[in-house]
Amino acid sequence: MAERPEDLNLPNAVITRIIKEALPDGVNVSKEARRAISQAASVFVLYATSCANNFAMKAKRKTLNAGDVMSAMEEMEFERFLQPLREALEAYKKGQKGKKEASEQKRKDKEKNSTDENDKSRDEEDEQMDEQEGENEGEEEDVEN
Amino acid sequence: MAATAPAAPAEPEVDRSGAEDEPRSAEPEEDGGNGQAGPTAGAQQQQQHRLAKLPLSRIKTLMKADPDVSLASQESVFIIAKATELFVEMIAKDALVYAQQGKRKTLQRKDLDNAIEAIDEFAFLEGTLD
Repeated sequence: MAERPEDLNLPNAVITRIIKEALPDGVNVSKEARRAISQAASVFVLYATSCANNFAMKAKRKTLNAGDVMSAMEEMEFERFLQPLREALEAYKKGQKGKKEASEQKRKDKEKNSTDENDKSRDEEDEQMDEQEGENEGEEEDVEN
Repeated sequence: MAATAPAAPAEPEVDRSGAEDEPRSAEPEEDGGNGQAGPTAGAQQQQQHRLAKLPLSRIKTLMKADPDVSLASQESVFIIAKATELFVEMIAKDALVYAQQGKRKTLQRKDLDNAIEAIDEFAFLEGTLD
């Protein structure tokens, strides 16, 4: 069962979309080029992870954090990524914070709800959000090997 | 109160354990307003934070392939996903230069190879692609 890590590819549809958005209209991409880019992206993830992990280990930490990834980008000579990554991280953190507060609020509401059966209006508000919870994959959860 | 239930909705007990309305303000700008792909891809997209186009679960799986990695914060997974996106954009654009030199409008594998050979940042890719 020699499963190389490179066999773990990223979804083709997403890779294709990223490529198309980066290139001007009217430019096509051959299937082979797309496949190669997708493979390269996987290699990038592995290389960046390894690099970032070195920084974590140097700092005697077991958990790889965002700062380690930033250091890795610098090491890999992708300084041009640093600014957009910092901005994305800020937005991400805000989003996570909002969700955390919202789910805490939700928990409080639930407790209130159980004694308040007739409050239908609240139920309508809550409609949308069940799926969104899934996208967090558990906020405090860490990747464990 | 009333003996008979008035026009109550047919919905059974609502058990929504999801979070409430997440702040949408952060999202649209990040995505470039292009929305989600088709319905099948859309279902997967909904699972992840819209600030990253690549699925964090897949990125996490790749990261875990490294035996030296024990734990990784959610943020680090997200940042790697985002960096990978930037990487894909960058390599596509750099490869395009070679296609244009060859007066082609279609990016081909050889354009990638040329870019990898010529550009220092892509040196790590040499010998890794099929």
